[in-house]
Amino acid sequence: MTWWIAALVLFGSLTALFVIALPAAFAFFGINIVGAWIYLGKDAGLVQLIRNGVVSITNFSLTPIPFFVLMGEVLFHTGVAMKAIDAIDRVIARVPGRLSVVAVVAGTVFSAISGSTIATTALLGSLLLPEMLRRGYHPNLSMGPIMAIGGVDMLIPPSALTVLLGSLSGISISHLLIAGIVPGVLLSVVFIGYIVLRAHLDPSLAPVFQHEEVRGWERWRPLVLYVMPLVIIFAVVILAMVAGWATPTESAAIGAVATVAVAWLYRALTTANLMRALMGTAAISGIILFIIVGATTFSQVLTFSGATNGLVGAIRDAEFGPWTVLLAMMAILLVLGLFVDQVSMMLITLPFFIPLMQHFNFDPVWFGVAFLICMQLGLLTPPFGMLLFTMKSVAPREISMRQVYQAVTPYVLFGLGLLALVLAWPPLATWLPRVLLGKY
Amino acid sequence: MLRAYHAIVHALAVVAAVLLGIVALLVTIDVLARNLRLGSLGWINEVSEYSLPVATFFIAPWLLERAEHVRLDVFVQALGSVAARWVARLADTIGLAVCLVFVVYGARLIADSYSLGSKLYKSFEMPEWWTFVPVPLAFALMAIGFVRRLR
Repeated sequence: MTWWIAALVLFGSLTALFVIALPAAFAFFGINIVGAWIYLGKDAGLVQLIRNGVVSITNFSLTPIPFFVLMGEVLFHTGVAMKAIDAIDRVIARVPGRLSVVAVVAGTVFSAISGSTIATTALLGSLLLPEMLRRGYHPNLSMGPIMAIGGVDMLIPPSALTVLLGSLSGISISHLLIAGIVPGVLLSVVFIGYIVLRAHLDPSLAPVFQHEEVRGWERWRPLVLYVMPLVIIFAVVILAMVAGWATPTESAAIGAVATVAVAWLYRALTTANLMRALMGTAAISGIILFIIVGATTFSQVLTFSGATNGLVGAIRDAEFGPWTVLLAMMAILLVLGLFVDQVSMMLITLPFFIPLMQHFNFDPVWFGVAFLICMQLGLLTPPFGMLLFTMKSVAPREISMRQVYQAVTPYVLFGLGLLALVLAWPPLATWLPRVLLGKY
Repeated sequence: MLRAYHAIVHALAVVAAVLLGIVALLVTIDVLARNLRLGSLGWINEVSEYSLPVATFFIAPWLLERAEHVRLDVFVQALGSVAARWVARLADTIGLAVCLVFVVYGARLIADSYSLGSKLYKSFEMPEWWTFVPVPLAFALMAIGFVRRLR
């Protein structure tokens, strides 16, 4: 069988299983069962499939995932997150589009402490959106920033998906985590600039309302009390990793335990909400890792069927320039992101992308950050971006899906702009990890 | 019967959640102890590694029951209700078949590994087949889950 027929059959049936709404993990398992039977040797292949499945997730480089998720879950379930939003709300005054700016700032702070994108969007959406609409904010200026900042979450460490990308691709996890900081923060700053400009040019988009202004220490006290500790935890997690005191897994565990300790110090921790946070953590990491159970076998099947070598070889022989190939890879990710979840995107593309990345000598961290930006955009692009549905589900009934699409559009364009910027000027991604962690 | 099924699925999910919490705590203690030169729990790295598959397989049936596994349902939602029901039956049947394959070959993997007497040697020694036990267990429960959805 020529490689392209194998590739066509494998990806064709995978697509079919996705389309009939079989859970993504089972779609991969189904393809793996057929593939293992044909290419890995019938019975022995299926036994191998199960062994691979356990081995795929028995991996020290994946262990930061649940701990990063736990940090965010603890904040949300103990209510510490709400106090932090209030604190930020109190400090930001007299800015056009004030509440939208609060959403971006609060979202950025949470990104720095939560490894789960959907949780950030759901929390900010359910807390801030009703308030914004009540104050007469235009839906575009109220929903847009909240969804956009949920996407930024993936770039700013700690991020569960960054860990997964590093683990599956072999790119250094610490370097990738640090590399997301500059592009992530840059994106937040651009969002704030855009909001302030829009609200300044057309004040009807975000009517100014009497905001109870607190002065002096009372204004800053909640920030010091409720936001500073979170920033410190973030700093400790990053510092422990950068200074080489702890591996990414260990810094993630420390971060998680510190978050629980902080919640306890605020007297916000109960057995019930700790248990809810732990269940949430097991659920979110379980969803991610269960798809990964199929990872090793899927890439083996692709290799043994000849699909990997065939496609990669064909691209090499066609002698495309590196930029053509790079842009094509990014385009594939953006298109996949319209339909497929992030974990599946990595499983489908990395077996081909990593050999190509090596062949063309792309800087792995630079490539990884571009990959992350594409996945982040995938969360936001209509029609099926996951955060759009998260937003729709927490928004009031009268908001239509059309309005959600409209609200997110400018931020998708900013994301594309960032992608172009990182591609054109690699130090944006590679400078900070080089300075902090040295060569890779 | 059904009550027992729910109880088992829920209990495994709780074990998964608590396990992750305990591992986070142990890893933290280990880092602190190491940096304070109080010694190190050499085995904790392996424990945290093995906790991932255990937690993942233990929570999976619970996620299936609550329909929380990621899936692409927009196309099915666009169908009429009769067509959607048939597509859902097809998907559940495939899901059930997948589970049965994993149960059967998971059990064979355990039997193979047991009869070979394979052991894992790292900081501590344990029979390799222990690490495979969660697989047929989780997939047997999920097979029941798919059967219930088919009815």
